Amino acid sequence: MSPRSDRTLAYWMILPVVAAVLTFIVGPTYDVFTMGFTRFRMGMPLEFGSLANFRALFADPVFWTVMRNTAIWILGGTIGCVLLGLLIATYLAVDSRQTMVLRALILLPWILPDVVTAMAWRWMLHGQVGIIGQTATSIGLSERPISFLGDPDLVMWSLVVVVVWRKMPLVALILCAAIRSVPQEHLEAARIDGANAWQRFRFVILPHIAFSLTAVTVISMIWITAEFALPWIMTGGGPANSSHIMATYIYQQSFQFFNWGVGAAMSVVNLVVLVAIVTLYLYIMRRSWRSEADR
Amino acid sequence: MSRGNHLLFWTMMSVIGAVIAIYVLFPIFWLMLAGFKSADELARLPVSFWPSEPTLQAYTDLFAPGTQSAQLLDWPRLISNSFIVAVSSTVIVVFFGAIAGYAFSRLSFPGRDLILGGLLVSRMFQGAALLLPTFRLMNALGLEDSLLGLIILYSAFGLPFATWIIASGLREIPVELEEAAMIDGASRLQSMVIVVLPLATPALITAAMWHFVGAWSEFAFASILIESSRNTTVTIGLASFVDYFTLEFNRVGAAATIIALPVLVVFFFGQRYFTRGLLQGAVKG
Repeated sequence: MSPRSDRTLAYWMILPVVAAVLTFIVGPTYDVFTMGFTRFRMGMPLEFGSLANFRALFADPVFWTVMRNTAIWILGGTIGCVLLGLLIATYLAVDSRQTMVLRALILLPWILPDVVTAMAWRWMLHGQVGIIGQTATSIGLSERPISFLGDPDLVMWSLVVVVVWRKMPLVALILCAAIRSVPQEHLEAARIDGANAWQRFRFVILPHIAFSLTAVTVISMIWITAEFALPWIMTGGGPANSSHIMATYIYQQSFQFFNWGVGAAMSVVNLVVLVAIVTLYLYIMRRSWRSEADR
Repeated sequence: MSRGNHLLFWTMMSVIGAVIAIYVLFPIFWLMLAGFKSADELARLPVSFWPSEPTLQAYTDLFAPGTQSAQLLDWPRLISNSFIVAVSSTVIVVFFGAIAGYAFSRLSFPGRDLILGGLLVSRMFQGAALLLPTFRLMNALGLEDSLLGLIILYSAFGLPFATWIIASGLREIPVELEEAAMIDGASRLQSMVIVVLPLATPALITAAMWHFVGAWSEFAFASILIESSRNTTVTIGLASFVDYFTLEFNRVGAAATIIALPVLVVFFFGQRYFTRGLLQGAVKG
């Protein structure tokens, strides 16, 4: 078969995927940018080329709460995932029967539907009948039942705890694979040179997994930025808007208040944040992309 | 290692393992347990650990007609809706993903790596920022409030990743096998269907499992597109409990168990495919 007809065949074969992405991702991304600069009233476009939506967005006092909360959400969640993931990965990387079982089990939070996870944690964090608050009271940690999701000062941190639970397993497994790829001879050599467990971790394992660690940190940021169902079902942005993040704010403005202009403006802000993180990701992964292309 | 040391090591590993296992399993276990408690029991403080009189009341409430929750939502219907959407979009995604995956792994054409990379990056933008324009697009296409609309949307969202997984799987299969078949007179299509596809089964299963679980669990886009109760899916059904019930976590527990079940089945039977797909593909976002 001639290379030329091969080429035509290839384009036909990838056409469905490319068309799907153009129609349902690239097109809508372009559309939401246009919408952000179009004035709307009750879902009816009025004029293009206006900054009215952004002015309205920045004038909303909730906007600044949203930005602060989103920072807590993304940074807190990412740091939590990576630190806890690294800790658990170090344990999982040990060869033993216990870790073999756990390596399979640990993915459970990752595959459960978000809606189920949100309900499970709502139930555990419930102000009156939640088992976590109840346990805290009974062992004397707190005088009154704690309303984790009802207290504006606690709610964002409670959400971060849940998203760490939800996203940490994959971080742990990826890092576990990285740690297990450290050559045994290197660890043995360090041991013979008198390095203790911490020194072996710090000077042998950590440099070896540095790339995976960086990559997984940025990927966690992307995952957590994309997360919507978890915070929406757990708090709906409440109490009194104290737990709104970009995703929940977009949803509420667009589909509960029908404030399409403000919803679109926030979507644009969200996309800009995403582009920044994805650019960082592509920059970090440039080495691995190139080796992929060489294969 | 001495015998005493070995015992200490074993005990330590077990204790840490138990702590991690409880951390990972407890939330879902606790919610499932609530599904077997009676409404009265859940209203009593302090909440008991094991159900004092285990009951299936919450489950019959969900499925039996005439009870409060059954009037609001027809759960058998929700389950079948979600199955229709998840299974159909999985079939579509695996079919077109296999075709595209073959092209990306076997044929060379200008822009190949760039397009494949672009597909993968596009996946990272599927999120809340696209809710509003997707809603407009689906309305313009007349696909709002329909299962067909969800099938099309989920297929489009799932295709890039499925293509990626299948292309990676195909790259591991030696090209010589097909070349031999083609020298023996097989056409490209024949060699693809007869030689390559059977060997690519693990990659196809991996792609199918990932997509099925994702489509079954999807909430955000379903919740903005579906309006009528006859098209409601299970995730919207469970989320709607937030509005109706405050303390009736037994029904929430029962519904959550039903939703989690297919995912857990896929997870336990397909463990090795799952981990495989994740370590080769998920790292890419």
